[in-house]
Amino acid sequence: MSTQNTLTGLLERDWSYRETLVGGAVGIFVTIAVLGLLLPESLWADLFGIITERSTLSSALRLSVPIVFAALGGIFAEKVGVINIGLEGLLIVSAFVAILVPAILGPTETTLFIPNLWVGFAAGILASVLFSGLFAVVCIRYKADQIIAGLAVWLIALGLAPFAATVYYGGVNTENLGTSLPTWTIPVLSEIPLFGAFFSATPAVYAMLLAVPASWFVLNRTSFGNHVRASGENPRALDTVGVNVSRVRYASVLLSGFLTGIGGAALSLGLGQFIGNNQTMVNGKGFIAIVAYLFGNYNPIGAFGASFLFAGLEAVQIRLQQVPGYAIPDSLIQTIPYVTVIVVLALVGRTRIPEAAGEHYESGDD
Amino acid sequence: MSAGTDARRTVESLLRRLVALSGVERLLISLAALVLAILVGAGIILTSGRVATCTQAAAVYFGLGFCYDPLEVYFVLFNGAFGQPFNPGIMAGNLVNPTWSPFTGPLTFTGPLLTTALFTAGWNPLNFSVALTLKETTLLIFTGLSVAVAFRAGLFNIGTQGQLVVGGLVTALVVGSLVPVLPGGLAGALLLVPVGVLSGAVAGGLYAAIPGALKAYADANEVITTIMLNFIAAQLAFVAVSEFFRNPESQVVETAPLPGYATLSSVVFPQGSDFSLFALAFALVLVGVIWFFLERTSYGYDLRTSGIQPEAAEYGGVDAKRTVVTSMMFSGALGGIGGAVWVLMVMGKWQTGVPALGFDGITVSILAGNNPLGTIPAALLFGTLKSGSLAVQFETGVPKQLVGVLRGLIILFVAMPEFFRAIGTNVVDLDADDSKAVATDGGVTGGDDE
Amino acid sequence: MTTAVHLDEITKRFPGVVANDDVDLTVERGTVHALLGENGAGKTTLMNVLYGLYRPTEGRVVIEGEERQFSSPRDAIDAGVGMIHQHFMLVDPMTVTENIVLGNEPRKWFGLAVDREGARRDVRELSDRYGFDVDPEATIEDVSVGVQQRVEILKALYRGADILILDEPTAVLTPQEVDDLFRVFEELTDQGKTIIFITHKLGEALHAADDVTVLRDGKNVGSVTTADTSREELAELMVGREVFLQTEKAPSDPGDVVLSTDGLTAEDNRGIEAVSNVSFDVREGEVFGIAGVDGNGQAELIEAITGLRKPTTGTVTYLGEDITDAPRADRIDAGMAYVPEDRHERGLVMEFDLVQNGILGSQHRAPFAERGNIDWNTARNHAEDIIREYDVRPPNADADAVSLSGGNQQKFIVGREFERNPDLVVATHPTRGVDIGSTEFIHDRLLELRDEGKAVLLVSSKLDEVQGLSDRLAVMHDGEFMDVVDPQDVTEEEIGLLMAGEHPDDAASAAEADAIADGRGEGTSGSRAASDVPSDGGER
Repeated sequence: MSTQNTLTGLLERDWSYRETLVGGAVGIFVTIAVLGLLLPESLWADLFGIITERSTLSSALRLSVPIVFAALGGIFAEKVGVINIGLEGLLIVSAFVAILVPAILGPTETTLFIPNLWVGFAAGILASVLFSGLFAVVCIRYKADQIIAGLAVWLIALGLAPFAATVYYGGVNTENLGTSLPTWTIPVLSEIPLFGAFFSATPAVYAMLLAVPASWFVLNRTSFGNHVRASGENPRALDTVGVNVSRVRYASVLLSGFLTGIGGAALSLGLGQFIGNNQTMVNGKGFIAIVAYLFGNYNPIGAFGASFLFAGLEAVQIRLQQVPGYAIPDSLIQTIPYVTVIVVLALVGRTRIPEAAGEHYESGDD
Repeated sequence: MSAGTDARRTVESLLRRLVALSGVERLLISLAALVLAILVGAGIILTSGRVATCTQAAAVYFGLGFCYDPLEVYFVLFNGAFGQPFNPGIMAGNLVNPTWSPFTGPLTFTGPLLTTALFTAGWNPLNFSVALTLKETTLLIFTGLSVAVAFRAGLFNIGTQGQLVVGGLVTALVVGSLVPVLPGGLAGALLLVPVGVLSGAVAGGLYAAIPGALKAYADANEVITTIMLNFIAAQLAFVAVSEFFRNPESQVVETAPLPGYATLSSVVFPQGSDFSLFALAFALVLVGVIWFFLERTSYGYDLRTSGIQPEAAEYGGVDAKRTVVTSMMFSGALGGIGGAVWVLMVMGKWQTGVPALGFDGITVSILAGNNPLGTIPAALLFGTLKSGSLAVQFETGVPKQLVGVLRGLIILFVAMPEFFRAIGTNVVDLDADDSKAVATDGGVTGGDDE
Repeated sequence: MTTAVHLDEITKRFPGVVANDDVDLTVERGTVHALLGENGAGKTTLMNVLYGLYRPTEGRVVIEGEERQFSSPRDAIDAGVGMIHQHFMLVDPMTVTENIVLGNEPRKWFGLAVDREGARRDVRELSDRYGFDVDPEATIEDVSVGVQQRVEILKALYRGADILILDEPTAVLTPQEVDDLFRVFEELTDQGKTIIFITHKLGEALHAADDVTVLRDGKNVGSVTTADTSREELAELMVGREVFLQTEKAPSDPGDVVLSTDGLTAEDNRGIEAVSNVSFDVREGEVFGIAGVDGNGQAELIEAITGLRKPTTGTVTYLGEDITDAPRADRIDAGMAYVPEDRHERGLVMEFDLVQNGILGSQHRAPFAERGNIDWNTARNHAEDIIREYDVRPPNADADAVSLSGGNQQKFIVGREFERNPDLVVATHPTRGVDIGSTEFIHDRLLELRDEGKAVLLVSSKLDEVQGLSDRLAVMHDGEFMDVVDPQDVTEEEIGLLMAGEHPDDAASAAEADAIADGRGEGTSGSRAASDVPSDGGER
C-alpha cells in the first residue's frame, strides 16, 4: 500500500474514543515540544524541559507502580466477574502493613536471613491477599452487592490503618523506617540519556515492567486466563463444561489482591513511611487505577499506558511546583489527574464491561 | 407427631411469613449486621489492646491482660454520647469473673452492678453531649437522605461528600455577601437562613448534575465520577477560599465568620453546643416530605421504577436519561443542604477540612435500607458513635478512628444478607416451602416458557 | 442394535413441583430420538438429569449398559454425554476455537500455555470430519445462530460425546437452517453418534427422528417409532385431548388508517441495520400480523413504533400525526397499548406488587394520579379488576410480580394493556407461556378489540396464532417485509419460504399482495371459514 493510501486510510478510519485520546495526548506532547523549542524562556519551554528530563521519567515510573499493580489487580477481578472497587482499600492495607511489620521486627535486621524490609514487603502483600480473600468470600459465597462490599473494603481499610497506626505509634502516620526500597542500577544501560531511567530504578519498577506482560500472557494465553474471561462473560458456559466457576473466581480475586498488594507495599516502602491523614498516602490511586484499566479496555498493556499517563501527569505537576515563577496553586494542579479521569471517563464511558461482571453465579442443582 | 414439632412448625411458619416481608427482613439484617460489627469491633479492640502499651491492664479476659476493654469502650461510647446517664462507677470492675473460661466452671457475677447506683444523679438530658450527638444525627439525616434518594433511583452517589463541600461553601459565600445589605436581627435571620439553605441546595444539586449528566449521556459510571468529583471539590474549594475568600485574620483557610443572627442558633440546648433544634426539626420534616415524594407521587414512582428496572421504566414512559440527571440533582441538593446546615449551624463559616459526613451518609443510607424513614434511627446510631468516640479516645485511649472501622464493617455486613439468611436458615428452616428458582422447562417462577 | 441410554423410572421433584414422574426412556445407539411435549411437560428437566445438571430424586441413569451417578455435567461429559442447551453456552467475545476447547485446553510449554495452534488444528479436523462449515478463528458474536449451534455441537464432540442432547434446537433457526441441522443429524448418526432432541413441534419429530417419546405433565405417555405412528396419534398423546387451534372470527371491517410507517429503518443494539425500509398501514378494526423467525428485525421494528428505539430514517405516523421522534410517554398518552416481548425486563417491575405494576405507563394519568399524587386506592381497584377478568393467579394484588408464574405475569400485562382503552394495540407474543385456556381468552379479547374498531398490530413466532388471528399478514425476513399476504390464502409452506427469505415467485400473487398491502379491497378476507386455517397441529 502506498504512503498516500495509508494516510487517507488513517484519516477515513472510524476513530475510536481511545485512539482519539491517545492521539490527543500525543498531539499535546508535540504541541508542547514545538512551542517549547520555538519559544524558549516560556512556560512551554519549561514544560518541555520537565517532560524530557530523566528525573521526571524516573519519578513517573515510580509513581505508576501502585496504579499499575492495582489496575492489573482490578483487571483480574473484573474479568472474572467480580467488580473490585475496593482496590483503594487493598492499597491502604498493604502499604500500612508493609511498614508496620519491619517496624516491629526491626527495619534494618533480618528474619531467617531475609532483610526485614522484604519481610515487610511480603507481609504487605499477604495482608492485601487476606483482605481480598474476605472480599471474595463476601461476594462469591454470600453474594454481597460487589460495589457496596468493595466500598466497605475501602472504608474499613481507611479506618483500620490510621486506627492501628494510632494504637502503635500514637498518631495516624507511622515513623519513618529509616530505610526504603533500594535502587538497582544496571551498568551501561543506565547511562543511556533519558531512557536510562528504565535501568536505574527500584525493584518494584522492574517488577511492574515484568508484571504487565506477564499479566497479559496469563489472561490471553493460558487456560486459567481463558477460564477467567469465560467466567466474567458467561459463567454458565464455563460451568457446563465442568469448570468450577467459584474456584476460578476465588483464584482470580486473590490474584487481584496479590497484585494490588505489591503496589501498596511498594508505595509505602519506597518512602519508608506510611502517611495516614485524610485519604492516606494512597489518596485515590486505587480509583485512578480503575479508570486506567477501563481506559485500557481491560488489557494489561493498555492499562499500563493509561496508568503511566496519569503518573506522568503527576510527575510533571510535582516538578512544575519546584520551578519558581508559576503562581498556580498546588491544589489546583493536584486536581489535574482527577479532572483528566473524568474527561477520559466521559469520552470512553461506553466501555464494554464483562457481561456477567457484578452478577452472582449459582450453579445448577441444590 | 408430637405437640412439640407442631409448635415448632407454627413458630417456623410464623417466622417465615415475618421474614418474607422484605421490610422486616431488611430491618433484621440491619440489626444483625450491627451486632456483628460490634462483635468484630470488640475483637479489634481486644487485639489492639494487646499491641498497645499501657501501664495497667484495663481488662483481663481468659487470663490475659488487655490495655483496652471492649465492654468498657462500648459503655463509654454510649454513656459519653449522652452525657453520662449511667453511673460510670458500674463499669469500675469487671462485670463477670475475669478469669472465667468455659473450662473453669460456672460463670460468677462479680459485678458492682448491685452495689452502685445505676443512673447518675442529676443527669440533665439537655446536656452538651446530647447536643453533640443530635448535631451529628441532624447532619447525617441530610447526607443519609441524599444517598438514599440516589440509591432508590438506582444511582450510587458516593459524591454526597463533594456536594456537601460545595453546597456549604456557596452557602457561606452567599450569606456572607448578603449580610451587609440585609437588616440584622430576627428579620435578617428569617431571610438569611432560608436563602443560605436554598443556595446550598442549588449548588449541591448543580454539582451533582455533572455526574448525573455524565452517566445519562456519556454512560460514565457514577461511582467513579463522584469519587473523583469529591477530590476535585475538596481541592477547588480550598483554592477558592485560600485565594479569593480567605478571612485575612485567620491562620486557617476559612471564610469570614457570619454574624450570629445569620446562623442557626441553639434552642433549649446549651449555647455553644452548635446544635439547633430547628435544624433537627427541618431534617425530620424533610424525611417525611421525601418519604411522601417517593411513595405517593408520580415522579417518585418514576424514580423508583428507573432505580429498580430501567428498561421497565422506559417502557412505562419514563425518560430514563432525564430521571438520572434529576435524581442525581435531587440527591446532590440534599447533600448541599447538609453542607449549608454544617456551615450555618456548626461552623458559622466555611473551613477547610470538612468532616466526612458524606461518606457516613452512605453508611446511614445502607443501614436504613435506603428507606427515608430508616435514616432517622440509622443517623441517630451514627451520631451516637461519632459523639461517643471522643469520650472513648479521651477516657480509654482507644483511637477515635474506631468509628471509621465500625462504619466499614457495618456496610460490609449489611451488604451480605445471604450470610444472615444462611444463619437464619440453620436455626429455622426458612426455605422449607420457598420454591427455589430452578430451571425446569416449565413451572418456573417467572420463567419464559417458550 | 444396542441401547445407548436407558433412563429407568426417573422422578425429579422440586419444592412444590413434580417435574418428572416415574419416566422411562430408552434410546438405541446410532439413532435420532425426539423428546416431544408441550412447554412445561418436563422435557428439559429430564435431559438435565441425563446431563448431570440435576440429580434425580428417584430412578437410575444407565449409559451403554452401565449405571451412572452424575454429580455434575463433568461426570456426564466423561461418560460421553454432551448437551446443547436452548440458550447457547458460548462466550461471545471469544473465538470459535477458544469456546470449543474451553475447560479442555491442549497445553504446551510444560502446561504453562494453551497450545492455540494445536487447538485450531483439532477444531478444523473435527469440523471437516462432520462436514461442518465453521471458521475456527471467527469470534462467536460475529457468526450466525446456525453456526453458533454447530459450534455447540463441536464442543460436545470435542469432549468425546457419543450421545448428544439438543434442547429445542430448531427454535432459533430458519426452515432452511433446520434442514441443514437435520442433515447434520444424519451425518452424526452415520458415524455412530446417538442424538436426543427436545421439541414441541410434532412435524419435526416425525420428520427427523427414528423414535419419539412423548412427555405430558412430567410423565412418559408413550414411546413410538416414527414409521409406525401418525400426526394425529402424536398430537393426541401430546395434549391428551382434542386438538384445538381454530379461532372463530367475524370478517373484518377496516376503517381509517391508525398507524403507518414509511421507509422505516432502524439499527439493533450493536448498531447493525435490523429493520430496512419498512412501510405499512394498520387500520381501525383490523389485525395486522407480522410473522417471521425471531431475530429478523421484528423486535426493533416494534420498538421503533412504540418509542423505545430511535429509527435511523423513515417516519412513523399515528392518528395522522408524525410521531417518529415523539417520546414514549406521548405515545402512551395518545392511546397506544403495548404488550412487550420481554415481560421480565420491560412489561413488569419485578420487585413491585401488582397494584404498582397495574399503573405502569399510567402513573402520571387520571384516574390514578392527580396533580402528581398517586391515588393508590384507585390503583388497587384497577389491579384487582385485571386480576379478576384475566384470571391472574394467585388472585392477590399485593403479590410481587416476581412471585407469579410466567403465564400469569403475561396475563396481567395483557390485561393492563388491553384495558387501557387504546386506539392501537401492539401485541408481541401475547400468549407466550400462557396456558391454553387463557390463550383462547386472550385471542378472543384481541378480536373483540378489533371488532370494537381498534387497530391491532400482532407479532408472534407462533405461525398458527398470527395466521389465525390476522386479517393481513406480513412476513419479515432480515429486516424486510418479504410480502404482505392474505393469511387465509396462503399455505404454511409459502409462509415458510417467505420466512426463509425466498419468494414463491409468482407475479400474479405479488400483484394481489400489493393490493392487500394497501389495505384496500380485501376487507372481506376474513369471511373464509376459519376452520380452513392451516395450523401446526392440524392434519393436512
